[in-house]
Amino acid sequence: MLTIRHLSKTYANGVHALRGIDLDIPQGMFGLLGPNGAGKSSLMRTIATLQDPDQGSIELDGVDLLADKNATRRLLGYLPQEFGVYPKESADATLDHFAVLKGVTARGERRELTEALLRQVNLWDVRKRKLGTYSGGMRQRFGIAQALIGSPKLVIVDEPTAGLDPEERNRFLNLLAEIGEKVVVILSTHIVADVTDLCQRMAIIGQGQVLLTGEPREAIRSLEGRVWRRTIDKAELDHYRARMTILSTRLAGGRTLLHVLADAAPEPGFEPVVPDLEDVYFGRLRAQATARAA
Amino acid sequence: MRTLLEIFRFEWRQQWRAPLFWIMALAFGALAFAVAGTDAVAIGGASGNVLRNAPMVIVRLVSAFTVLGMLACGVFVAGAALRDFDHDTAELMFSTPVRRGAYLGGRLAAGYAAAVAIMLAVALGVALGGAMPWIDPARIGPVDWRGYAWAYGVIVLPDMLFVAALLFLLATVTRSLLATYIGIIAFVVLLSLSGLLTRDINHHLVAAMLDPFGGRTLGIVTRYWAADELNHRLPAVEGLLLWNRVLWLGVSVVLAAMAFALFRTDREGLRLPHRRARAEPPLLAPATSASRITLPAARLAHDHRARLVQLRTLLAFDLGQVLRGVPFLVMLVFGLVNLVFALALSGEIYGTPTYPVTHAVLETVQGSFQWLLPIILAFYAGELTWRERDRHTAEVVDAFPLPDGLALMARLLALVTVVLAYLAIGDLVGIAWQLGHGYTRLQIGLYLATLALDATPFVLLAALMLFFQTLAGSKFLGYLLAIVWLVASLIGFPLLHFDHNLAIYGHASSVPYSDMNGFGHFLAGALWFDLYWGFAAAALLVAAALFHVRGTGQTWRERVREARARLRRPAVVALGLALAGFALTGAWIFYNTNVLNHYESSAEATRKRADYEKAYGKYKGLPQPRISVVRTQVDIDPYGRRLGIRGHYVLVNRHDRPIDTLHVNFDTDFTLKSLDFAPHETVSDDARLGYAIYRLKAPLAPGASMAFDFDIEYAPRGFTNEPSGQFLVANGSFFDSRVLPHFGYQTAMQLTDRGDRRKYGLPPDVPRMPRLGDAKARNDSYVSNDADWIDFQTTVSTAPDQIALAPGYLTRTWTANGRRYFTYVMDRPMLDFYSWLSARYAVKKDSYEGIAIEVYYDPDHAWNVDRMIQAAKDALAYYQAHFTPYQYRQLRILEFPNYRQFAQSFANTIPYSESLGFIADLHDPAKIDYVYYVTAHEVAHQWWAHQVIGADMQGSTMLSESLAQYSALMVMKHRYGPDQMRKFLKYELDKYLMSRATETVAEEPLARVENQQYIHYNKGSLVFYALQDYVGEDAFDAVLRRFLLDWQFRGPPYPDSQDFMDVLARSLDSKWKGLLDDLFWKITLFDNRISEASAVKLPDGRYRVTLKVHAGKVYVDGRGKETPAEPDVPVDIGVFAAPTGKGLDGKPLYLEKRLLPAGDSTITLTVAGVPAEAGIDPYNELIDRVSGDNRRAVTVQ
Repeated sequence: MLTIRHLSKTYANGVHALRGIDLDIPQGMFGLLGPNGAGKSSLMRTIATLQDPDQGSIELDGVDLLADKNATRRLLGYLPQEFGVYPKESADATLDHFAVLKGVTARGERRELTEALLRQVNLWDVRKRKLGTYSGGMRQRFGIAQALIGSPKLVIVDEPTAGLDPEERNRFLNLLAEIGEKVVVILSTHIVADVTDLCQRMAIIGQGQVLLTGEPREAIRSLEGRVWRRTIDKAELDHYRARMTILSTRLAGGRTLLHVLADAAPEPGFEPVVPDLEDVYFGRLRAQATARAA
Repeated sequence: MRTLLEIFRFEWRQQWRAPLFWIMALAFGALAFAVAGTDAVAIGGASGNVLRNAPMVIVRLVSAFTVLGMLACGVFVAGAALRDFDHDTAELMFSTPVRRGAYLGGRLAAGYAAAVAIMLAVALGVALGGAMPWIDPARIGPVDWRGYAWAYGVIVLPDMLFVAALLFLLATVTRSLLATYIGIIAFVVLLSLSGLLTRDINHHLVAAMLDPFGGRTLGIVTRYWAADELNHRLPAVEGLLLWNRVLWLGVSVVLAAMAFALFRTDREGLRLPHRRARAEPPLLAPATSASRITLPAARLAHDHRARLVQLRTLLAFDLGQVLRGVPFLVMLVFGLVNLVFALALSGEIYGTPTYPVTHAVLETVQGSFQWLLPIILAFYAGELTWRERDRHTAEVVDAFPLPDGLALMARLLALVTVVLAYLAIGDLVGIAWQLGHGYTRLQIGLYLATLALDATPFVLLAALMLFFQTLAGSKFLGYLLAIVWLVASLIGFPLLHFDHNLAIYGHASSVPYSDMNGFGHFLAGALWFDLYWGFAAAALLVAAALFHVRGTGQTWRERVREARARLRRPAVVALGLALAGFALTGAWIFYNTNVLNHYESSAEATRKRADYEKAYGKYKGLPQPRISVVRTQVDIDPYGRRLGIRGHYVLVNRHDRPIDTLHVNFDTDFTLKSLDFAPHETVSDDARLGYAIYRLKAPLAPGASMAFDFDIEYAPRGFTNEPSGQFLVANGSFFDSRVLPHFGYQTAMQLTDRGDRRKYGLPPDVPRMPRLGDAKARNDSYVSNDADWIDFQTTVSTAPDQIALAPGYLTRTWTANGRRYFTYVMDRPMLDFYSWLSARYAVKKDSYEGIAIEVYYDPDHAWNVDRMIQAAKDALAYYQAHFTPYQYRQLRILEFPNYRQFAQSFANTIPYSESLGFIADLHDPAKIDYVYYVTAHEVAHQWWAHQVIGADMQGSTMLSESLAQYSALMVMKHRYGPDQMRKFLKYELDKYLMSRATETVAEEPLARVENQQYIHYNKGSLVFYALQDYVGEDAFDAVLRRFLLDWQFRGPPYPDSQDFMDVLARSLDSKWKGLLDDLFWKITLFDNRISEASAVKLPDGRYRVTLKVHAGKVYVDGRGKETPAEPDVPVDIGVFAAPTGKGLDGKPLYLEKRLLPAGDSTITLTVAGVPAEAGIDPYNELIDRVSGDNRRAVTVQ
């Protein structure tokens, strides 16, 4: 269980990235949803010992992660959001190098480990190629391979599926799901479907605050019967926007499909829909925006 | 056009908004300011009488910066060319309808503008630097903007255009900043290569055209300009200069056109064909359904063994990245090219090479990497420190459980390896060079020791650079700190007279190496300094580890907090040990340099000389007794480095008044153990300046004499800040009579630099020698003002395995108390000028007509001993036949270590530096045999100094140095022929003409020379050689014999140059009066040239040759102001057959002196053979600033 309490961080430029985050993250996949700039990466980096919070604590099973950073790093597997490679090094050489740095200094163990990892992420056949020639998806898989070195207790992956094609995304998520059976895996994303498909628990973050935490199914259930939709002309949008809580708008066949949050059908012509996590997500963000505006 | 302007405007804004622009402007401006405002770096040739802001000085200064300006151009022009590709805006840009011409033109123009703007900062720095209040106002003329305008118009703008076009082409074609920089480096290599290949004075035309910057052209055009010209003139844009500018402007246009033509807008740019053939990535197997994850268990180790493995891995990784990188190889190749050329040139004297002795090769290796390695270290310290950040792998790697200092340690080791690799590869090239020259005494041990010694400062620098990078928190700021440091250590510290090695990071005392003495006693001090700075480097590295940024976006407050958190036991212990070691070694060094020894900054040494003049200048010329007898017991302990001298003088009052005070100068490095002379009281005793005044109880009556006994000792302890005591070493001690007490105010101590004099409160006018005709000055010879001809004996003892030598004849040698004693007695009066030497010598003995010739040399330096003996024999033969008999029964040549580079003549004794002649490589007969020449010159001093010594006044050195030059030239001429002489005299002419411009006081005619080397050596050679050619060698030698017989062993009063000129005028035909005036009493520059030479074959088989020649001459005053004069001296007209071999002159078919009218004239003459070449003054006997136009090929019709 990863316990985060009162975590706050303000950057030198005045950006208030984290505002008193409290989270309990049990073993298993944990989804961290939020729009760009919500503070997801700040939170991830803080857990990954790459930046110090101004306030607050992080504990894993009662052990203070902020006290001894190198001890924390031994438990950690981290795939940052933006992640580069040494373009002229091959995948296996780089992974081997990383394994040494992580502490796998016994040569035999390391060779077995890197082979297993490369096979696992399906890069074994291309292990001799320079990383500079890898596609985005291959790089991400290489990233996950390095994050898995040394059986981490805490795996942090920040926006891993951005830029992956559907095939690669599937493969990647399957891999994560498997890891998540044994350890704490925090998956940060702004793609709602990733969380829906994978995570037992989740949190929604907006503007540095936790807006919601819990199980995705629970969250969806709370909206049952309250989400309505209607297809309208684009010109009518302002009319609706002024009068009801719009969750999302989407173009469909040249017209606009509207999702609205309401306890009952707001107007004739609206029909009920089975809510999904996306509705929850937008609902929370709208609520926060309204609260701020008020 | 509108789009071009818009692109220009946009790009220009990008350029000047970048901090790099301002940093470069600041750096260039500051550098220019330092160069113009201080004496730390001498560029531009503003010395002596050349004003610091003379237009030509401004031109040279600003032009010198154009080479650095390439760097600015690289940044701005390549940046402009590559901006869209670097920022991935290329596809946006090229999908707009902007035309290629407008796009490229705008970018190129903006980059060029930015680079020119940087060069304007240089002008600003130069102007400001020249206006600083600390500059001697006498050295500043009115501000003359013509210099700036000329420099920018003729040099800077075209140069920058050329560089911009070249870089723009490279950048657009390669699309890579790195490749562009490699291009710059390659270009610089080619440039210096062409410079080296054309450095010979015979290749001026090619050199002038090949230099795209025009700097060399400018140098050739103004090579012989004197002060007055430099102060007032600017070169006309014509001839060589014009053609050079036109050529390279044309090349610039072609390069720019190529860039436009080759530019492509597609993604790939120009690629080498084979690169495109790379296979596409293989298709991946489709994703299978989730398989079970089974990863083998791997232990994460964190013990010391693991740390070692990690360190090794990091090091291998860092090194792999560095060594496989292009910059490493490019800079290595650059360094090696540099090295090979430096090896080819090192030690050359008069164009003759030396043997590649190991220490000389090692010095060259060090020299060629000396400026390269700091740049390499600064570069890689940045690259390695920020590689993870640059490659965006930092977040991954920073989250690994590695100790904070481990990566830093790996980087340091990588940099150390780079340093060692460079030096070791340099050494291998050096070894190959030695073997390639058939030199097999490799001294591998010396290679290794020097490698370690040379690497140390670079290792220390590497630690500092890593510290800068880590502390700065960004690569850019780190580079800035590195640049500031490099500039400060190059210019700033010397400027502030900041020269204690304890205070300048990484500095240690230098360790001069001599084949005779090895590293000697100089090594210990240097090692202590290295250790001291090693501790400092360790402390810096610990600090760097504490402040090293891990993770993202830390503010300084956070970094300090983090550093405190990291300051745990191991860090505290390491820091504590480093600081304690630093403090302890520092204290020990301070004790050695400042307590055991006297530390004196260069400023303090200058101040002492000023104080000496201020305090005692009033005693100048005060009557003092003369030393008439010298008896000394000298005890040299070479291995223990102790020197004791017990001396006994007999002093005579040669004045007509009694003398009641003695003014005694002591060498302040020696301690005075006892002093014993007539009853006296001490009036003052100035230990700092070494000047004591004693009042004699009973004044010394005229004609009376007294004993003066002293016991002095030199016993250095510990080590000093800079090498000291080179005169007393384990093998090769050499010191002279100046260490003994001397009497009266010594004018040699006076400061002779205007700026220094002004700074230390002395009248700024430099004290001059007494004018010719000053009868009082004839009482002293120029080697001594407290003695005349003395009676000399010495007993010298040394270590049992060494031979000690001094002037005189060895009368007795014995061994006692484990020491070897030698007694030398001179059996006739000699100058008060003597020396002692002691070393482990090999001896070669020979004789010439009863005169013993002996060479004492280092056993490894036997190469030229026979040649020296031959030269001594030839010299003795010539001088005895043409002048007077040799006054001694013996002539000895003694080698001494290369701490000093000269040969010097004492009575029957010639100390000769190991680096001057003993290691000369004289295999090539076409090269000048300077060993022969130097030997003959020094032997000649046995006549020209030791038989006749001039009075201490103007013209005195003509009587010794110029006549010794002449004598040596005659000996050389008879052995090697006139062709070699012409080669030799060409060097003399070049040196004389170049040195004139750097005169600090005033150039004097030869007969009034004031100990000015370029006059008494270089001009002296030319004048006397010409004179003997005009009046005949035998006639002139008869004059010399007359003069010797008149003045041999005489004085006081001593002869002056007027006496010599009188003999000359009396003995020679009066028709030579004009010639003598031109050569001796005036500064005369001839302007002889030939413009046409043609020949027609006559029916009788002979040839009628027609020559168009020009004759002219000017008189010049001491500051270079010229007055035209009528040519009234006949000049050689020569016609020559084709040369018979390479480097040889053709046989003269006609050679006669003719008096020509001023200006152009046509000469027709008939010769018997096929004429190949003709000329006016073809042997360059007369001083002519353009010596290359005196001959030309004859066209035969």
